[in-house]
Amino acid sequence: MTSYIVRRLIIAVPLLLAISFVAFMFIHLAPGNYFDTLRMSPQISEETIKKYESQYHLDEPPLIQYAFWLKNLLRLDLGYSFVLMSPVTDVIKKRLFNTFILSLAAMLFTWFIAIPLGIFCAVRQNKFSDRFFSALSFVGLSIPNFFFALLLLYLASLTGILPLGGMRSANYEDLSQLGRFWDLLKHLLIPTIVIGTSALAGLQRIMRGNMLEVLRAQYITTARAKGLPECRVIYIHALRNAVNPMITIFGYSLSGLLSGAALTEIITGWPGLGSVMLQAVRSQDLFLVMGSMLMGGMMLIGANLVADILLAWSDPRIQYK
Amino acid sequence: MKHSRKPRKSKSKNREIASLRRDRGFSFAFLAVAIIILCPLSSFAENCLPKIGTYGGKLILSTTSDPKSFNPILAKETSTTVITGLLFEGLTRTNGITTEVEPNLAQSWEVDKSGLVWTFHLRKDVRWFDGQKFTADDVVFTFNRLIYNPHIPNSARDIFTIEGEAFKVEKVDKFSVRFTLPFKFAPFLRGMSQEILPRHILEKKVLKGEFNSAWGLDASPGEVIGTGPFRLIGYLSGQKVVLQRNPLYWRKDRAGNSLPYLEKLIFLIVQSQDTALLKFQEGELDYYALRGTDYPILKPGEKEGGFTVYETGPAFGTNFLVFNQNRGKDENSGQPYVQPKKSDWFTNKRFRQAVAHCIDKDSITDIVMNGLGSPQASAMSPSAGFFYNPDVKEYEYDLDKARTLLKKAGFFDRDKDGIVEDRAGNDIEFNLFTNSGNTQRVQIANIVRKDLESIGFKVHFMQLEFNNLVIKLNSTYDWDAVILGLTGGIEPHFGNNVWQSSGHLHMWYPRQEKPATSWERRIDNIFNRAVQELNKEKRRKLYDEWQEIVAENCPFIYTVLPDSLFAVRNKFGNLHPTSYGGAFHNLEYIYSRTVSQLNRRPFLNSIGEVSP
Repeated sequence: MTSYIVRRLIIAVPLLLAISFVAFMFIHLAPGNYFDTLRMSPQISEETIKKYESQYHLDEPPLIQYAFWLKNLLRLDLGYSFVLMSPVTDVIKKRLFNTFILSLAAMLFTWFIAIPLGIFCAVRQNKFSDRFFSALSFVGLSIPNFFFALLLLYLASLTGILPLGGMRSANYEDLSQLGRFWDLLKHLLIPTIVIGTSALAGLQRIMRGNMLEVLRAQYITTARAKGLPECRVIYIHALRNAVNPMITIFGYSLSGLLSGAALTEIITGWPGLGSVMLQAVRSQDLFLVMGSMLMGGMMLIGANLVADILLAWSDPRIQYK
Repeated sequence: MKHSRKPRKSKSKNREIASLRRDRGFSFAFLAVAIIILCPLSSFAENCLPKIGTYGGKLILSTTSDPKSFNPILAKETSTTVITGLLFEGLTRTNGITTEVEPNLAQSWEVDKSGLVWTFHLRKDVRWFDGQKFTADDVVFTFNRLIYNPHIPNSARDIFTIEGEAFKVEKVDKFSVRFTLPFKFAPFLRGMSQEILPRHILEKKVLKGEFNSAWGLDASPGEVIGTGPFRLIGYLSGQKVVLQRNPLYWRKDRAGNSLPYLEKLIFLIVQSQDTALLKFQEGELDYYALRGTDYPILKPGEKEGGFTVYETGPAFGTNFLVFNQNRGKDENSGQPYVQPKKSDWFTNKRFRQAVAHCIDKDSITDIVMNGLGSPQASAMSPSAGFFYNPDVKEYEYDLDKARTLLKKAGFFDRDKDGIVEDRAGNDIEFNLFTNSGNTQRVQIANIVRKDLESIGFKVHFMQLEFNNLVIKLNSTYDWDAVILGLTGGIEPHFGNNVWQSSGHLHMWYPRQEKPATSWERRIDNIFNRAVQELNKEKRRKLYDEWQEIVAENCPFIYTVLPDSLFAVRNKFGNLHPTSYGGAFHNLEYIYSRTVSQLNRRPFLNSIGEVSP
């Protein structure tokens, strides 16, 4: 197992290099660079813009720029964000925690509702409750996130129970430890629901499908024939077998933990990474985009590995050599 | 008073139709850069005396994005300058009401007979946030070691460099500085609102080559040292910027109380305009800049919500249609940038004038701006005041007039296919670009296209990514017509790069070696003379003439200026909003009326605690 993990990690290095190279070249396919926006200002001369460009080697051909970027990467320097005028690592560091708690909350929300709901619907296949919950989760899937977020914010402004976006109240510093936690939780609720519900339907349907398939298997009929109690049949015999594909999906969803959800973040005012990255892509903030690409790539490779390990742990039939 | 004429205002009957979402965050963030960089915080006019306020209270504002730095020299756009403008000050500033230059860190100045040597006498009572005295050394340092430092790329240098020559900045004594200019420079005093930075803090960083990262977003708030009315006390990425009253601020009110009155300023970072609107309605924000569509939502709620919606007249950002008049050739391929037949159309004055008659300004105002806009005729905004010339040629919306003009110029439908042809029988057919992401501009483009098609042009409208459009305008020149906007301001000379035929923003034909037409030569001439003309009245005459030439020749075919609209809670005293300065140009005089009650509250509480 250990040698397997080591092998996977070694393969990851050329993979990441390839990802970064392709990403770098793709960014350069887009016309212009960040400083083009400044070109349209009547008060900034072309010499000044040329100075800015040469400061970051943007006047060199893309391959040489990539070489500079790699050289800095070896020194663990991800470069400098043009827009935010600070090192890329700083930008990411500042937002990482916020994004992480929101993604984690949304993930917990989705999984803790989708799995039981999937099982529930499978057991009551085609009954009213199955149809009702399926319909409900599809509503969650079909409402665009930004609209749902606005709707919830509007609701919050009518009732006054929940804060209108942001991450902390204005008086956050004056609150007790517990009060701060509570305050954060209240701010977390709306974005969590918005992001959580969008993934709910898919998961719930997959869980339901898996469960239905397993429930039709002969060993379930056998278990029931032996006279085992129904809850044992479902939660021990059926669930163990139905959950394997879910673990793979879980692994993949781990990779999204740090990528953020830009639209929801923008509307609910959550200071996460998603909106920063979206802005970076739109304004061609080269090094910040590269930094986020690299991080996304690393998360994906890592999450895949975690999923494979989890799978081996849950299903003894799977072994790695 | 020539410039006080009110612009025609089109009353909208159908505000409901408009469904515009102005993309403020992204579209043209730089639009306001020019004005704000130069004129951080403007002052209160002497003619409307501010009341004596009460201390305390806070003002909660919102901004659509994080500041990018706290360093005013490195600042490039508004989300940064809106903060640094409160932390730092220049030698002069622009009055937010009269738009005149007035003393700030310098209490007086004189200029010698040649108009080249300016001596500024600094205030002696100004202290930096850390208590150090502000002196002439700081001014000399800011110019000689920061702005003119070749290792520090900054746009301030472009303003203080004339034909490649820097100003000579010398210390005369501890509180006087002498500027020697290479040429006469009329907007010099306005330019002197450039923020001054402390030498005692930054000199070490410059020596170590660290200035380019000094006072970035990772700086601890106490490090950022200025002389402004407020100082930085906190910044949370993506959440808020908190400023506190500077107790050492030098400006005093009539009664000798030191200013400012407000204790705290909080800028919440709210990226979504819709969320900001909800927050304002809820009372979480004290200020909200309206989009046209927000007007019918907020206006009826004024009384109930305890706020007032201010309409201060046309804003400064222009939207115009421009045709490519480039007569140059691509050096590599030898091909002309613009097809010769198209070039013949676009360089024809009558053709452009006819198009100007096709701009349905009333519809644009109603549909795009919800009725809250003013048609633009002159190259300056009516809000610019002194240099605005209201008596220029106007092009009313009249398609028949447009057709007549075209016919006179030889463009009419020769083969009766519904499309207008030129003398050689070519269909008049061209591309019209604008940048995607600016909904307002896209809507304008659609309205303009419809009218151009109805007089018989074939117009292919396309939205391009902003950077792509900039490259077309700036280096490849392969475009026919573009709808775009530019910053306006109150100082015409700061649009030098746009109007001089050699300028890189002279969009219709940039970087000309010598002016291609006689009217462009006249404009070049006017700008060269006006910048050296220190007599205000004579200068105004020159710029009046420039605006007439532009209106006659239509290099830019102007559309509509949006009105500036904002809502402020009624609890603030001494508010005096203007189009130029916005709601808070006199921020140090603004006070919170609810403070006296607030102050009493802890007192009552303490009594409550004593008696069980």
